[in-house]
Amino acid sequence: MDKPPLALDPNFSGASEDFPAILRRKSLLQSAPEPTAAAGNRTFIPTESTTILAFKFAGGVLVAGDRRATAGNTVVYDRADKVLEIDRHSIMAIAGVPATAWEMARVLEHSFQYFRRTQLQEMSVDGKVRALSKLLRDNFGFVMQGVGVVVPIFATYDGNSKPEARLYFYDAMGAQFEVTDYAATGSGSPAVRGILYYENNWGDKKLQELNEDEAIAIALRSLDTAAEADTSTGGVDRSGKIFPLIKTVSRDGITTLPEEKIAGVFRQKVA
Amino acid sequence: MIEEPYRWVEAIANRREYIETQLAAGSPIAAVGYRDGILFVTLGRVRQKIFEIYDRIAMGAIGHPGDIERLRMAAIELASTEGFTRSAADVSLRRLAHYSLSPVMKSAFEQVYGAPFLARLLFAEIGSSPKEDLFLRIDYDGAIAADGLTGQPRQRFAVLGGTRQSAELMEKFLQKEHVTDAELPDAINVAFDAWSIGRMAIGENASKELPERDAIRKHRDEQLTNAGIEAAVLERGSKSGIRYRTLADEELRSSLQR
Repeated sequence: MDKPPLALDPNFSGASEDFPAILRRKSLLQSAPEPTAAAGNRTFIPTESTTILAFKFAGGVLVAGDRRATAGNTVVYDRADKVLEIDRHSIMAIAGVPATAWEMARVLEHSFQYFRRTQLQEMSVDGKVRALSKLLRDNFGFVMQGVGVVVPIFATYDGNSKPEARLYFYDAMGAQFEVTDYAATGSGSPAVRGILYYENNWGDKKLQELNEDEAIAIALRSLDTAAEADTSTGGVDRSGKIFPLIKTVSRDGITTLPEEKIAGVFRQKVA
Repeated sequence: MIEEPYRWVEAIANRREYIETQLAAGSPIAAVGYRDGILFVTLGRVRQKIFEIYDRIAMGAIGHPGDIERLRMAAIELASTEGFTRSAADVSLRRLAHYSLSPVMKSAFEQVYGAPFLARLLFAEIGSSPKEDLFLRIDYDGAIAADGLTGQPRQRFAVLGGTRQSAELMEKFLQKEHVTDAELPDAINVAFDAWSIGRMAIGENASKELPERDAIRKHRDEQLTNAGIEAAVLERGSKSGIRYRTLADEELRSSLQR
């Protein structure tokens, strides 16, 4: 007897499958090919043409990204959102191939919700961090083919045992690194890491002690510096008034900083 | 023996009677529209009965926990994959109920050698305006009753009871008392009174008529001393796409009029 297209699986158990597995079973999520030896011989050139950064400040974690999307030498879009909300307390900022990154963010968002709804509890921070790691690992076959590299930053607020902001960055294979102060990835990140390292050690205040305005100023200066030498980073487009996207995560959730606020800080402390 | 048609009808009737007996003791659930959304209320001692299915869909259920869980999981999986491939706005309760849940429940009920679903489900889907809200009930045999799918005047509430009488009394009460644009605390009181009426209509000394107001309040206060209120809302104006929110026991108790 044919099963109706959306028949219930009589052996269904919520514990046995995570959401990406369900998507694969229904052919809604493509599996990456196994990384092969032939692909391994090719020179692997990571192309993450963008700059994203995140650091902890007095009010939680700040995550910022420029808005430029490029294809080779061409600027294709100047209003790209690279700082994405995954749930009420989690942000994923993306450097890498947008198609893969946005799809990954979408899978992740649905995975967290699916877990909460089926298991009747919020997924732990460790579980969320691991879920992203697994998506990156599953994507590695595409990375080795030269398409689909994604190197994200994940920022979240752990409301459980010890309430605190948590910040992670990843490599393209899915290794996760928790950082105490700051993280930056993308082609413009070396400059940003220099600035954040300098500010944290010899600046007026440590990053974790900055108030919101000071944190915004550092983020804008960092992105502007990155854009100075990196063609793939948009920085602040002064003529078009396109500002970087900045979000913060705190105990109360995610706040997207309004453009007027960013513009105000920019005029006072950056321009 | 089931091959003979009348035997099959007899087997189905027996099975119906068996399931009705199993469901009879279930604690009722009331879902009412209020000014800012839809409120689900029940009172329970042992397990959760109100669940989030998707961004705009909530479910209440009575029955066997194992069966409820299978149906709940299936509903969440279907809604989630639909929402993932298309968008949250394309997830439709009407489709979920008519296309997926009802046929499966019907066929499990009618295959007399297999086990039926011992469950009665109440769903609500919140729209962008009260006119688009949908209340929908699916019974163990796959039968669907909906408020909001036809051109009929809307009630904007729905109830789930262990017995027909329990549900009918609750509906009768809500037809009289329910106000569609009530504030949340008022809606909590009305829904909770409806629950009390539904509860008083089951078990020994079941009431056959609508009880007096004093009797309702007395019953409700007795029940409150040894059970927790369970309630959730679908909020139309929620900032995020997720409309579902569980209400805390304290928030509920402080809303109840003495």
